Amino acid sequence: MELFFMTLTTGIMVGGIYALVALGWVLIYKCSGVLNLAMGEMTLIGAYVSLSFYSMGVPFLLALLISLIIGFILGILTERIFLDRLIGEPVLTVIMVTVGLSFFFKGCVELIWGTDTRVFSPPVFPLEPFRLGPLYIGQVYLWSFIAAMILLLVFVSFFKYTRWGLAMQATADDEMAALSLGVSARFVYAAAWAIAFMAAGVGGTLLGNINGLNISVGYLGLLVLPAVVLGGLNSVPGAIVGGIAIGILQNFSGAYLDQYFPGGVKEVAPFAFMAVFLLFKPYGLWGWERIERV
Amino acid sequence: MSTTWLPCGKYHETYTQDHAWWQTTFIRGKMIALFAVLFVGIPLLADDYGLSICNNVGYTVLGALGVQLLIGYCGQITLGHAAFLAVGAYTSTLMILEFPWPQALLDWGLAYPISILVAAVVAGIWSVFFGLPSAKVKGFYLILTTMAAQFITVDFIITQYVSQIGGRGQAFSLPVGTIKVGPWVIDSDLKVYFMMLVLSIFLIAVMVNLLRSRVGRAWVAIRDNDISASVMGINVFGYKLLAFFVAGFIGGIAGAFWISNLAAISPEHFPWSWSLWLVGVILIGGVGSIHGTVFGSIFMVVVIEALQLVIMQFVDTSWGSRLFMDFLFIKEAAFGLVICAFMIFEPNGIAYRWWQAKNYFNLWPFSY
Repeated sequence: MELFFMTLTTGIMVGGIYALVALGWVLIYKCSGVLNLAMGEMTLIGAYVSLSFYSMGVPFLLALLISLIIGFILGILTERIFLDRLIGEPVLTVIMVTVGLSFFFKGCVELIWGTDTRVFSPPVFPLEPFRLGPLYIGQVYLWSFIAAMILLLVFVSFFKYTRWGLAMQATADDEMAALSLGVSARFVYAAAWAIAFMAAGVGGTLLGNINGLNISVGYLGLLVLPAVVLGGLNSVPGAIVGGIAIGILQNFSGAYLDQYFPGGVKEVAPFAFMAVFLLFKPYGLWGWERIERV
Repeated sequence: MSTTWLPCGKYHETYTQDHAWWQTTFIRGKMIALFAVLFVGIPLLADDYGLSICNNVGYTVLGALGVQLLIGYCGQITLGHAAFLAVGAYTSTLMILEFPWPQALLDWGLAYPISILVAAVVAGIWSVFFGLPSAKVKGFYLILTTMAAQFITVDFIITQYVSQIGGRGQAFSLPVGTIKVGPWVIDSDLKVYFMMLVLSIFLIAVMVNLLRSRVGRAWVAIRDNDISASVMGINVFGYKLLAFFVAGFIGGIAGAFWISNLAAISPEHFPWSWSLWLVGVILIGGVGSIHGTVFGSIFMVVVIEALQLVIMQFVDTSWGSRLFMDFLFIKEAAFGLVICAFMIFEPNGIAYRWWQAKNYFNLWPFSY
């Protein structure tokens, strides 16, 4: 039973980070209709930037802030240079541009930072576990979860209450109507990419704090895909629920299925689950069902 | 891309002419010259380095053919094709290593050809299994299920279980002399080259003929609009699964062929990035065009090799040697940029330019 609750809490905490990254993904899809496969590499870039600054002796929060700023700039640049010219192109074209971007980002990251595992040293969060009743939770997990939740709140309230956020929502809902009301669609697209890049960067930094940072953190960024499929591609609450659910699922399969299927069941389980889930509910829990006409 | 026009003033008079492979004397001459270059010119002139580049091109063509069939002709976007190559390669290897072949078959050199066929069928069935979701989902969702195919097959089943068979550890190495086709032991680049040539020409011919049959027209109808296709009485699901089977079949042959060039195979030969690479190749070459598959393969392999040669020039300088050490990463970054550039500036691919050029000359001087 102890194992059960430990796994559950760890799953929820890691899932919080996935939820943050998934939010960025959903934002891009909602606003501009781009299905982004470069999310994993975006988490890598943000994580490495903050790690470099942290190793230079910059305080952690400041390093995180710098990575947010750089993520913001990179997001706008990416949108302006690559995605802006592709509005209205077929799905495959846009997806493959993001695949090209992911190759490009990954190559650059490996070129600049190498492939060895790096850790945040000295550790950002204290090593001794935090005690909650009978459960022990690593402080890394707890603080990461709290940070992820704060940022989720910030992004969601930005989306809900500020003028820019409302403009983004309007564009996501009906682009033509938003344009005729004076919302600049180009601004909205750029903002969506900037926010996604920032969210991914923070997610990557937190994930890097847990297990050290190497290229495989980019693979964790791919886990947002099962998360958003579970929640529905264009639903912000869906992304959050989906992210947490995938975190839980991953940790449970690691804890309970590993004895039956030794090896990498933890990495594969979310994808296997996603493939099966798609068969029954292809639009996710809260996604919009599209009715197709000829 | 539609058909190429006939030169000015030439018309078909019979259906036989209309269905012919090589429709004019010029095309016949051109193709014979091409075959002469491929079968005689390159083997005589190229050294081992040149041949190995040709083999790489051939492997990419074989791998990308199945992707072209699925994406370009049936509209089923797949990002997990390397899984089926891996299934083919592993089936063939395991059959060669573990199957109790009768001595007669070994003497006649039939073991490897038979294992290629079996590998193709197994990969085809495996592909159909992961094509099943296409009954309900399409577009982006299908991409996700094919991605799942890649991770489940290569990163889980093959890495964790198949690689453990026989206790050889991660890599399966093939003893010298086990890869034997008829009387020839495939042990040099030249022999691999000829095998590659025969296989690719055969498979391209099969694909082209398939595409101009009832099956091919059904696939194209599904690609263009699956709802209209079902209204016209096409069994959409059946033909989708058939497309997955044929694509997996070709992928299996490609994987089983490639073990002749590799001394040892391991799961690292079939990563997810290789699936993406194959999709990139057909996008650069041109979606929905057999020419495009070949052009894209040649372009990508040659560009990467040229990049490597350029960096080799600077290997003496300190930054040059560092770049050379990290060439794998430069390759990835360059590939990403090339894909983005093609998608933005030349979305129809190289094959479109080729088609334009041919029509320009065919219609000259009345090109309007």
